[in-house]
Amino acid sequence: MPIPAPDPKQMVLQAEDWVEYRSGFPTLVRKFLFRKVPPTGWFHTLGSSLLTVFIIQAVTGSLLAMTYNPSPNGAYESIRYITDQETLGWLIRGMHKWGASMMVILLFLHMGRVFFYGAYKYPRELTWLTGSLIFLTTMAMGLTGYLLVWDERAYWASVVAVNINGTAPVLGPFISKFLLGGPVFGAQTISRFYALHMLIIPALIGGLIFIHLWLVVKLGVTPWPGRPVAQDEAVGD
Amino acid sequence: MADDGTTRGQFLSLSTVGIGAVIGGVIGVPVTAYILAPVTDEADFQAVFLGKIDGFPADPSFKPTPATYVEDPQNPATSPGLAFVQNTGKSNTDWLAADAMFVVFSNRCMHLGCPVAVAQGVGFACPCHGGQYDKEGRRTAGPPIRPLDRFQWEIKNSDELWITQRWSVDFVNGRLTYFPVKMPGQPVAPPGPSVVADVLYPNVTYDHGPVPQPK
Repeated sequence: MPIPAPDPKQMVLQAEDWVEYRSGFPTLVRKFLFRKVPPTGWFHTLGSSLLTVFIIQAVTGSLLAMTYNPSPNGAYESIRYITDQETLGWLIRGMHKWGASMMVILLFLHMGRVFFYGAYKYPRELTWLTGSLIFLTTMAMGLTGYLLVWDERAYWASVVAVNINGTAPVLGPFISKFLLGGPVFGAQTISRFYALHMLIIPALIGGLIFIHLWLVVKLGVTPWPGRPVAQDEAVGD
Repeated sequence: MADDGTTRGQFLSLSTVGIGAVIGGVIGVPVTAYILAPVTDEADFQAVFLGKIDGFPADPSFKPTPATYVEDPQNPATSPGLAFVQNTGKSNTDWLAADAMFVVFSNRCMHLGCPVAVAQGVGFACPCHGGQYDKEGRRTAGPPIRPLDRFQWEIKNSDELWITQRWSVDFVNGRLTYFPVKMPGQPVAPPGPSVVADVLYPNVTYDHGPVPQPK
């Protein structure tokens, strides 16, 4: 009996079956991507725009970390090297810098959309709360990242930011020393901010985004306010 | 083992929770202590040589001479300081005397710690948020809430100006009064009992010795 010629489409489907049988990932991805959603508009794209910008920040940030030198004597020089001499360094740094601003702007727009659509209401309170935590951690990324450029503006803006915390009654000086990693602005401050910016806060944001998306998929997309939900687009699975 | 009604499952659940708590403590306690340790660090001010005294001439208009110094010799790149030395034209070398030779101002703005610059003939001004000070370092406009800090100074080897301590100051009932150093933006002498004030606005924990009294 002649062996039939292998059909490429069949091979892909068999490979998918092989993975499906052993992990269930294809079903997971299909459930995530093929959901029923109510009629939406451009405002509903802000969340996925944020995810895109976050991915850009994570990728470009990792690349910058390969060259950046978080030390008082080396930080500014390494930034200059990235910008002026490294191949496409100016582009990667530019993407990271403008991406940071874009992320904050999109965050406010996304929050505004959710607020004005009333999308924070039952049963989506936890989605709003995790989103609020993502907002706070993103602000912390802005604060810690600002110092890393290590020019005059970065230095004095960080001094001001730390001293704003320092003016708090009772705990002020302790918060300030906690942020600085010591009694004064020193070499330990820049490595502290670097570790926060590179490792701790991104891990937090990553985890929060996972929970946030989990809730979005589980609860479904909020329809326009005041618009009755049709029978065939019931919320959730 | 006596039969006290505990099932095997309950025992294993409790063990898991208990061992989990131990593991959490073994990781969590040192991590927390490590992160919070800097909170108790103290910064002692070390005496610094500012310059020869003829480098700080008296000027008929208000024009203090800037002098750079390094606050922490271990971290010169991150602890540059700037003092403004005003030669009063008088000759007393006792820094607390009414006719003292110099007044040495800190350039740290008492709003949020930016560096102030001399506004010649007028006083000082801060570029960050517009704080302004008069010739005695007293706030005249903008957000700062107290006068500029001052340095205790002395003359060593007959012609070297050294600063030996930083003090926060305020004019209490119009009279110059020294206080242990506080954060920029915190009042040194807020209204109310001083015990409450000390709790609300703790010192920056310099080991500073007795607070000086102007003569």
